[in-house]
Amino acid sequence: MAWNEFSEVTNGGLSRRTRGIAVACFSLVMGVVAGNAVAQHDEVVFNRDVRPILADKCFACHGFDEKKRESGLRLDTFEGATAALSGKQAIVPGNPSDSELWIRIQSRDDSDRMPPPTTHKDLNPHEIEILTRWIEQGARYQKHWSFEALGAVATPNSPPAGRNSIDAFVSARLQKEGWELSPEASKPILIRRVAFTLTGLPPTLSEVEEFLTDDSPNAYERMVDRYLRSSHYGEEMARHWLDVARYADTHGLHLDNERQMWAYRDWVVRSFNRNQLYDQFTIEQLAGDLLPNPTPDQWIATGFNRCNVTTSEGGSIDAEFYYRYAVDRTSTMSSTWMGLTAGCAVCHDHKFDPISTKEFYSLYAFYNASADPAMDGNALLTNPVFKLEAEADQKRLAEFDNAIGLAERELDASASKAEYRDPATMEPRSAPQLLESVWLDDEFPPGGKVTSGPGQGTLFVSKEQNEPVFSGIKSLKRTDGGLSQDVWQEATAPLVIPENATLFAYVFLDPANPPKSIMLQFHKGDWLHRAVWGDYEAIPWGQVNTTQRVSMGTLPKPGEWVRLEFPASTVGLSGGDSITGFATTQFGGTVHWDKVGVSGILDPARDPKRSFLAWWRSVSGKDVPGLSTPLHAIAKGGPIDSVDAQQRAALLRHYLIRICVDTQPQFATALSALEKLRAERNAYYEAIPSTFIYKDAEKPRESFVMLRGQYNQPGEKVEAGTPSILPPIQGSESGRPLNRLDLARWLVSPNHPLTARVAVNRFWQQMFGTGLVKTSADFGTQGELPSHPELLDWLALHFQSSGWDVKDLLRTMLTSATFRQSSHVTSNMLELDPENRLLARGPRLRLDAEQLRDNALFVSGLIDLSIGGKGVKPYQPSNVWEPVGFVGSNTRFYQPDRGSALYRRSLYTFFKRTAPPPYMVNFDAPNREQPCTRRERSNTPLQALQLLNDVQHVEAARALAQRMILEGGSTSDERINWLFHTILSRKAESSEVVLLNHQLALHTARFVENLEDAKRLVHLGESKPSENMPPQELAAYTLIASTVLNMDETLCRN
Amino acid sequence: MHPNFDDSLQHNRRLFFGQTGLRFGAVAASMIAAEAGGIRIGSSCFADSPSEPARVHPALAGLPHFPPKAKSIIYLHMNGGPSQIDTWDYKPGLQEYYDKDLPPSIQGGQRLSTMTSGQTRFPVAPSKFKFEQKGNCGTWTNMDLFPHLSEVVDDIALVRSVFTNAINHDPACTYVMTGSEIPGKASIGSWLAYGLGSESNDLPAFVVFTPKFPEDSNGQALFSRMWSSGFLATRFNGVALRGSGDPVLYLPNPEGVSRADRRAMLDSLQALNGRTQAEFGDPETATRIAQYEMAFRMQSSVPELTEIASESAETLQMYGPNVNDPGSFAHSALLARRLVERGVRVVQLLHRGWDQHGDLPRQIGNQCKQTDQPIAALIKDLKQRGLLDSTLVVWGGEFGRTVYSQGGLSRDNYGRDHHPRNFCMWMAGGGIRGGITYGATDDFSYNIVENPVNVNDMNATILHCLGIDHERFNYKFQGLDQRLTGVEPQRVITELLA
Repeated sequence: MAWNEFSEVTNGGLSRRTRGIAVACFSLVMGVVAGNAVAQHDEVVFNRDVRPILADKCFACHGFDEKKRESGLRLDTFEGATAALSGKQAIVPGNPSDSELWIRIQSRDDSDRMPPPTTHKDLNPHEIEILTRWIEQGARYQKHWSFEALGAVATPNSPPAGRNSIDAFVSARLQKEGWELSPEASKPILIRRVAFTLTGLPPTLSEVEEFLTDDSPNAYERMVDRYLRSSHYGEEMARHWLDVARYADTHGLHLDNERQMWAYRDWVVRSFNRNQLYDQFTIEQLAGDLLPNPTPDQWIATGFNRCNVTTSEGGSIDAEFYYRYAVDRTSTMSSTWMGLTAGCAVCHDHKFDPISTKEFYSLYAFYNASADPAMDGNALLTNPVFKLEAEADQKRLAEFDNAIGLAERELDASASKAEYRDPATMEPRSAPQLLESVWLDDEFPPGGKVTSGPGQGTLFVSKEQNEPVFSGIKSLKRTDGGLSQDVWQEATAPLVIPENATLFAYVFLDPANPPKSIMLQFHKGDWLHRAVWGDYEAIPWGQVNTTQRVSMGTLPKPGEWVRLEFPASTVGLSGGDSITGFATTQFGGTVHWDKVGVSGILDPARDPKRSFLAWWRSVSGKDVPGLSTPLHAIAKGGPIDSVDAQQRAALLRHYLIRICVDTQPQFATALSALEKLRAERNAYYEAIPSTFIYKDAEKPRESFVMLRGQYNQPGEKVEAGTPSILPPIQGSESGRPLNRLDLARWLVSPNHPLTARVAVNRFWQQMFGTGLVKTSADFGTQGELPSHPELLDWLALHFQSSGWDVKDLLRTMLTSATFRQSSHVTSNMLELDPENRLLARGPRLRLDAEQLRDNALFVSGLIDLSIGGKGVKPYQPSNVWEPVGFVGSNTRFYQPDRGSALYRRSLYTFFKRTAPPPYMVNFDAPNREQPCTRRERSNTPLQALQLLNDVQHVEAARALAQRMILEGGSTSDERINWLFHTILSRKAESSEVVLLNHQLALHTARFVENLEDAKRLVHLGESKPSENMPPQELAAYTLIASTVLNMDETLCRN
Repeated sequence: MHPNFDDSLQHNRRLFFGQTGLRFGAVAASMIAAEAGGIRIGSSCFADSPSEPARVHPALAGLPHFPPKAKSIIYLHMNGGPSQIDTWDYKPGLQEYYDKDLPPSIQGGQRLSTMTSGQTRFPVAPSKFKFEQKGNCGTWTNMDLFPHLSEVVDDIALVRSVFTNAINHDPACTYVMTGSEIPGKASIGSWLAYGLGSESNDLPAFVVFTPKFPEDSNGQALFSRMWSSGFLATRFNGVALRGSGDPVLYLPNPEGVSRADRRAMLDSLQALNGRTQAEFGDPETATRIAQYEMAFRMQSSVPELTEIASESAETLQMYGPNVNDPGSFAHSALLARRLVERGVRVVQLLHRGWDQHGDLPRQIGNQCKQTDQPIAALIKDLKQRGLLDSTLVVWGGEFGRTVYSQGGLSRDNYGRDHHPRNFCMWMAGGGIRGGITYGATDDFSYNIVENPVNVNDMNATILHCLGIDHERFNYKFQGLDQRLTGVEPQRVITELLA
């Protein structure tokens, strides 16, 4: 077939089809008003009309990514598209039929057609039509809109009275469709809309009263200002920001243990409340640590960079996780401030946006220097952390330190007077003798580390607790379902095995809950010396039938103290061996241990527990805690003659008080008082919370392009830097390498095209429900175009020129007539603009998860409005954490709080990432594993079940019913009216009163008949109903309150 | 003219709220579909017959891509990494290598987890268990661990050459369930619920069980991200049916509130909402009315589901002694069948405790004691009801285990570390050719020597059985066409298909 024939056929077919499309298109275009509106004869605009098609259908193979570029053709630049390739030209401007692109997109030959049918990216006739006209009109390219600098935008026409610049832009766009803004919503709807938008709470009756009776022309503005000043403003703003910052109370991976960084959450609240300027807000979070002399708040703010998920899973490889954390932080920074999905460039050049892999890793280099470790240690606090010490804390700590100093001096004074002769220096030398050394009795030996688990921590119990004790006043007790133990290790004064030694321990097995097996383990360079009683297989450690695991026979008789003893040689230990740890281990059951030690023939002159010199030699070269720096150096150096006599005496005092079995008992009381004081100080100090902060490591890690995103495949080396499509970053004068502070300042520099646009768009989304750019996380070429590009730029410039004043920006948005419109929508309007992208009506949105719960608590009066602090655990159905939790995790079992903590605002609910609070997940809250800039608003039956049946909501309905009866008047009509005022800020319609009265009568009759049911209903929840209120009445009103709390109007801001 | 004041297109309203007595479910359905990216319900290969009410969870337009073999899937995830050497990858030759070091040529300098990378020796631990060839197909089966499954091997397509990239639990589980190691992607069940919806109007499209596991086993954590919708709308999250307490969160009415009370309340609420609907004209209000009705129906459909007393004695017996214990694996397996029977699209059972670094023979014995009989019963039960042809059953973990022992070694006792380079999965039922064995590993079950299958090849195959072309099943997020099977090329393992 000749080319001409083919072309004619195609053209004929096309024009017939286009006519059909033009008709169908009207609704389609209106359906996606985000800017695809191209009427038949308008000029085709590259950014609006063409780029979305090319980006979706062509750039994957003919775009920016050099490695994936087919046939050397790139279509993302004019030069590329018009270059001659093997005698052909993809695009010949003004001449479609000479353009190879145009020919290929219409080809009916599968092997010829573009995009290739295998990609399933077929162009539809409408798209072909646009490309055709674009080529006809000259195929003009534009830089992607969001990378264009912000230039001054004139408002279309000066807004009329009562309207502001926003309205001018919105009206101008509406006029193109022959539309106009809707009338203003009623005052009750407006105040509820504003209150939820700014504080996440409904207005109180008195706030409504104040607004409704204010007839002044600026009543609305004054109402907005009141909410902007509310301390709950910061809480509501923080809630949105914490979704972006991916804040949570656990590490997120594997054990998913608790982490402590709620001070960061509280900082965000404070920051919004004091209206911190957005540029400063940015700088402190990204680089507060690099500011000169950071304030505590600036340290806390850097927690933003530590909110990523971390792991400590056994077997993990450090390099992999250093890499992942840095990638996460880079992607988060990039999407939060620039709306760029740079994460894709981790593995390959970004197919759609002009960020190369190398540029991504240049951004990554800013973060590939962090001081925090690859493994979080499953710890509450993983360094670096910042101690939140208040002045009162510092004072109390100083008092402790004084008391400790005094006790130490007294102890030293009495030790100076003690009688002691070192057996090593006695003449004649004493002969070896049978000696017993007790290692464990009432406590573990000093100078070692005690660990325990999984399960309970180390526990000593006493006779007073009706617990069996063999020796002294306490025994060591452990109960567990599986393998569990107490371990003493890293001894600084090793335990020496005498000649012909016998190891012994006293054990008491609970007859009601005996273990499967028990084990003693000893550490000599390694844990390879074990004795086991009972089931030999239950504890699978050590090579079988070697001294690594020796069977000592059956379990001792339960219900009495039994002395276990065996020659040390049985487990491969012999005279002179130094033991630096031991462990009492069990599988299942309840076990008490007491008096663990060794006896044997020992030369006192060689026993570190009896000879000062022998001890000194034994610690030579080792760290000895509890000593001042000079003494420590001497102890570690071992005995030499040149030591200063005074220091030698001080070291001897240390020995006599803490180590020597002959002298230690006389100091035991004073020493334990001192230790108790120290423990109290430590406990006090530990109780002062800390928070994760971000810092660079002393030595930065080198950064490389990681091939295909593999942590172990470094390619080209890179330095910190920013993408070339964006304005250049300013470094310091001194020529030091770029750091995060430079990066943060670059982001908020006035010529950065993205930061202000992305920020105002997200705030707009918060106010109106949908951003002017709907894809608020993606301002790249795959994101949607702005519905009102000029308005977006005007707002961005306005924001910048106000000095990044957030409250001012929000005030501008909320006082616009656009925001104040009625949200009423007709089916016509729905058909033409279902998503309200043209803003011809006010926003009507379902409340977010936290707002729904806070609303119920607030109107019921149950709410505790205190601000800040550690995360709280409100009601949660059983078995939400447990079925998924790791066996050893400290967030495996959910233990709800009691009292007012149950009624705190939802912002303060403890957030476990691997099993987030169900009341939040049910209403589309993210799991905070990755930044989330936009929540869905789903509408499901599970939500209905929660709002109807969750104890939190039922209890709130009952408390609200009680208020109805006590505060709402004496008749049911009055009470129903009061209820509507309280929940919806409006009076009830008469039809509503009739309906609810009818319902009330049904419920009352039922509960009068079934008083027990009424009692059960009104006693749900921890708070108590009023005692002198008839349960049948309260129960009936509870269901009325619940009904109105479940109204669609209640669940939305209207 | 303001469009809000032009209500001339009344027929649209009628279309939505129907003069034809369309149920609320249908209204909700069209709205849900409309919400899913502006796509209306299209023709579907699961076309509803005219007499049936419209579906509450419809499929996306254009889905399935082709007539599916399976309508539902039951995915059995053995969490922790079951040892392939002790389950399905029979290696008789290993007996001669007992306690000899794994040849370095086999180990090949591969990455080891840091739990064993410090070991001075890598002594080979042959499986202590007895294997026999079973069924007409002669698949080598562990007769100590799988006495019941041995009876259904002719239905099973065994893959011995699955591999993953992740060497630790968290990333590996995230990978096998979402096609990516990085948290935040959609799980396979969510993808299917999103694409195919559910045939049940009274139950969720995607249901998850986390049954009990032996107390003394090494229970790794599960993560809600394994059934999370990720970037998809959260209504596609798996609904975890709970073994104890209420099967669905917040399902029962509060104490003291009867079903009649609730009905009276809903009647009133729906009338109030009707007024709201008239005032604001928001279609979400109509959806909400429908969802409250759905919730009311679920309050009876879910308890009916979990009421297993109606099952015959033979059936109950088949699932084994624990079937009456709510929350047991056997109980969950029976509920899985009942869910599929009622049109639920995806059921997942996640059984923990398969992470056997030490004391492996005893522990894996306990794990299998809990699962072998119920899984075999599930297959037989589906088959006798004619449901196996339309139900895909998948079994697997997140990775395999090493041939060398971790810790002490004896003929009867050993442990094994994580091994991502090969492991076993199997499939049975809708679309699957039973009685075949696919892929092979070397004599040490350490490297794949024939037909390697990536985790995402498995996922592509699963989608295929359900009528979905994995390359055309996309969701735009963060500027990319996200898919379950990722950006690397993956293939449907056609050799497994019937």
